[in-house]
Amino acid sequence: MPVLEARGIVKTLGVGRAERRILDDVSVDVEAGEVVAVLGRSGSGKSTLLHLLGGLDRPDAGQILLAGRDITRQRPRALAKTRLRHVGFVFQSFHLIEELSGEENVLLPARLPGAGRDGERRARRLIGELGLTEIAGRRPHELSGGEQQRLAIARALVNDPEVVLADEPTGNLDQDNGATVLALLRNLRRRAVVIVTHEPEAAAIADRVLHLHDGRLRAETAAEVTLWESA
Amino acid sequence: MGVRLRAALRDARHGVRARRRRSALTGLGIALAAAMLVAALVVSDSLGFGFDRAAKAADLPDIIVRFDPVSSSRVAQHITALPDVAAYSLRQEVTSVGLQAGNQFAGNGDVEVVGAGPHGYAIVAGRDLSSRPGEVVVEKGLADAWGLKLGSTMDIDGLGEQRIVGFSESPDNVSYPLAVPRVYVSATALDGRFGAQANPQVNLAEIWLRDPANLNEVLVQARATSYGLQGLRFVTRAGVRVLLDQAAGIVIDLLVALSLIALATAGVLLAASARAEVQRRLRAIGVRRAVGASRGHLVLVQALESLFVAAPAATVGAVAGVLATYGPTGRLLVLLNEPAPGLALAPALIAAWLAAIAIPVLAAAWPAWRAAGRPPVALLRGGDLVPAHPHGHGGPGRFATPRAGLTVLGARLAGARRTRLIATAATLGFSTAFVLLMLALASALNSLETDPGALGKRYQLTANLPASAAAHVRTIPGVQAAAPRYETQAVDSFSLGETIDVIAYPGNHTIFEAPPLVSGRRLRGEHEAEVGLGLSQALGLNPGATLAIQLDSGAELRLRVAGVVSSLDDDGRVAYVPAGALLAADPSASGEEEIAVRLKPGANAAAVTAALGPSATPATGAIGRGVPLVAVLRSILRAVAIVDGLVCLYALIQACALTVQERRRTVSVLRAFGAGGPAVRRLLAGAVVALVVPAAILGVVLERLVLGPALARLAASYVTLSLGASGLEIALVLAGLALAGAVAVVWVARQATRENVIAGLGAQ
Repeated sequence: MPVLEARGIVKTLGVGRAERRILDDVSVDVEAGEVVAVLGRSGSGKSTLLHLLGGLDRPDAGQILLAGRDITRQRPRALAKTRLRHVGFVFQSFHLIEELSGEENVLLPARLPGAGRDGERRARRLIGELGLTEIAGRRPHELSGGEQQRLAIARALVNDPEVVLADEPTGNLDQDNGATVLALLRNLRRRAVVIVTHEPEAAAIADRVLHLHDGRLRAETAAEVTLWESA
Repeated sequence: MGVRLRAALRDARHGVRARRRRSALTGLGIALAAAMLVAALVVSDSLGFGFDRAAKAADLPDIIVRFDPVSSSRVAQHITALPDVAAYSLRQEVTSVGLQAGNQFAGNGDVEVVGAGPHGYAIVAGRDLSSRPGEVVVEKGLADAWGLKLGSTMDIDGLGEQRIVGFSESPDNVSYPLAVPRVYVSATALDGRFGAQANPQVNLAEIWLRDPANLNEVLVQARATSYGLQGLRFVTRAGVRVLLDQAAGIVIDLLVALSLIALATAGVLLAASARAEVQRRLRAIGVRRAVGASRGHLVLVQALESLFVAAPAATVGAVAGVLATYGPTGRLLVLLNEPAPGLALAPALIAAWLAAIAIPVLAAAWPAWRAAGRPPVALLRGGDLVPAHPHGHGGPGRFATPRAGLTVLGARLAGARRTRLIATAATLGFSTAFVLLMLALASALNSLETDPGALGKRYQLTANLPASAAAHVRTIPGVQAAAPRYETQAVDSFSLGETIDVIAYPGNHTIFEAPPLVSGRRLRGEHEAEVGLGLSQALGLNPGATLAIQLDSGAELRLRVAGVVSSLDDDGRVAYVPAGALLAADPSASGEEEIAVRLKPGANAAAVTAALGPSATPATGAIGRGVPLVAVLRSILRAVAIVDGLVCLYALIQACALTVQERRRTVSVLRAFGAGGPAVRRLLAGAVVALVVPAAILGVVLERLVLGPALARLAASYVTLSLGASGLEIALVLAGLALAGAVAVVWVARQATRENVIAGLGAQ
């Protein structure tokens, strides 16, 4: 049974002459343990789709079920609780909080009101598993991009969500660090992972690759994607 | 230049429209600061210069002399013999006259029959008395209190119905209802009605000097040549203003300090706000610089944008400040028989209004100037105006103890802008200290009426018992000291009219009454006295001078003035003398004795009162005409404390809003991970705690250790005031501060959670 289901999603951005239907009748299912990569050009609506799937924005039409809940009908407070318990985000710019150490950043979602009780133990385990023990006490500006993104992944996982949504997770990383981060995302057991990216390397680790073009989502083979990117 | 200015105006207008909510908050701060500044200005100017304006408008005489009725020719003879007299007028003052207008009646009216010469009052509406009969001029305070109109009538006992032709103000006394109702009628008109008298009786003379600097010499001579005049009492222009000056002076000092704090608070927060706004728009500034916009243009846009917000806000604030204070102050001035400042206040108000506009404009232009001076490429990269990384460094291998909950994070976010945190906490601390000080002062003024200790009275009870009972009273449990206290009325031997309250104790009177010394020292022997400030000023008595008083028995007591003490009691017309000297001069004074009882700290006053018997009564507070004025001042202080509280609230809201504005992305990250309203409120609560806790500590310490003692010393010439805030006052103010913080947190959190998370994630 899919942990994330989107049906007939429509989203329009801009107003007047700038108005553009960026997502047009988009549907997608993601199973637990599955990694789905969504590829598309800049401005194709990849990030918008990710935001809708994560409940950060609302579609104009369509329905999104996240862990069995229709998040398009949820009120803001319930939506926040859904994000807290069921979704982890990984951002291109890491978005670690400068005032906090790496470990404190990882722990932050676990300290939000309504979060589960196991956060601290899980954070220590994640920090150990992701090889961050040595740098966990440092502030973000003292860390490399790869280290920051690994901390961001640990933060996304600290509340043990069913769904991890990654927005261009390797966009600010060099090739080696990018590969490390992708390997981490690949090995998130039991979780549904959606990665939006325009990098073919990210697509290579996915179980399924979807291509967003002209507001519509199509399944592509990896070979087609590579061909499209090189074109 | 015209084209550039038009372009800058267009950009600035666009900026204000695009940031309506932020502009509104900034405008609110400017309006509050302007209101506070203008309010302080109105009250300060009105109370500070009111007497001078009133004295000038009324052409107040330098000397007012009251005496028992005597023929006008005889008085004129005395006055013309005095040196340096420029003019004088004689009148009859008839007291306890029944006055009635409509439903209003007073049986203690003061009717002044005005003769030739200057009148010593200002006509503030209508006209002065003519020679026609049936006219009356009414004091403005009385007219306001009774709702009298020009042209209406007033029935005066003995004169019948009189038409009200004018309203007057004269600052030689406070007005009705603080004093008896006063009206003026024309002597010429009365002559026309009752027949002219060749040598009418008068009991009041007003004297104008050519050079007021010669006042003391003239007074000395007037007293020396006053034979034949009974019940002589002198009041000088300088003496009249003493009480008002001293009382109002404290309020003015407080208001000026408060307005400066409000201005500093607004300045700091507006500067921080402007910097945060520029910080937020660095990329936009970089783009404009990259496409050729000059540094001057960008600064001009920022300054104009601020001007568009500041000008209307400062105008609204200034108008609100004037409206809030001009009316109440005007009513107070009417009570004091002083005119409202009117247009005389305009230059100062305009200057305050301009300052309220200029400060935010400069605060906005400066960070824009700094930002626009950076290379465009740095700005396009999102370069920071302030160091990009916070202080602190985690060492390698350090596994930080994870303690940072949302509240701690909020405190850290506020602490990341260390200078602003210190400045805001300092301004909040000063505001807290001033609110505490004003509440303490209001309580102290209240205690003047209710607590004898505030007047330097250290005894709590008196009992009508003979002096011989003192030894027995001392044995009552809870009594620390007891002694006979003699209080009698006397008159000054020279003026033969100035009433003096004479107080005597055997031995050291400071055990029971210790009004603070203004000059000189405490009395030491049987031939010395301490005199009250009011008496000192009325009779020109300084340390070393001779106090000559005529007692009820007719005996005279002459004592050397050892010191001058301040006391609000009996308007300061008191003299402390040794009991031995008093009883030696007038043995009948022993009939006035009572036992003054000082209790041990914590003693049960009720039990001691019961032990003393039915004649025991508690010591009284202040009496005299200054007390009603004090009540008005107390109200003003409390009102200003409330305004200052609003300034604190604004400072906290603005500080929270700035934290959210600068940390939009942090807040959005938290919200993306599931933080709802409670989490954002907790985060902001941390920021508020980081501000409020040091501010509260600073405020309490500042008031208790610096401001309270300093103001108590300042007020020492007026009265003994304990200006340390009480525990209850501190608790109330801290609760108010906490409440203001809570309001700020809830309000800003509500705004923050309304923002689109995605927009916040993209914020730089």
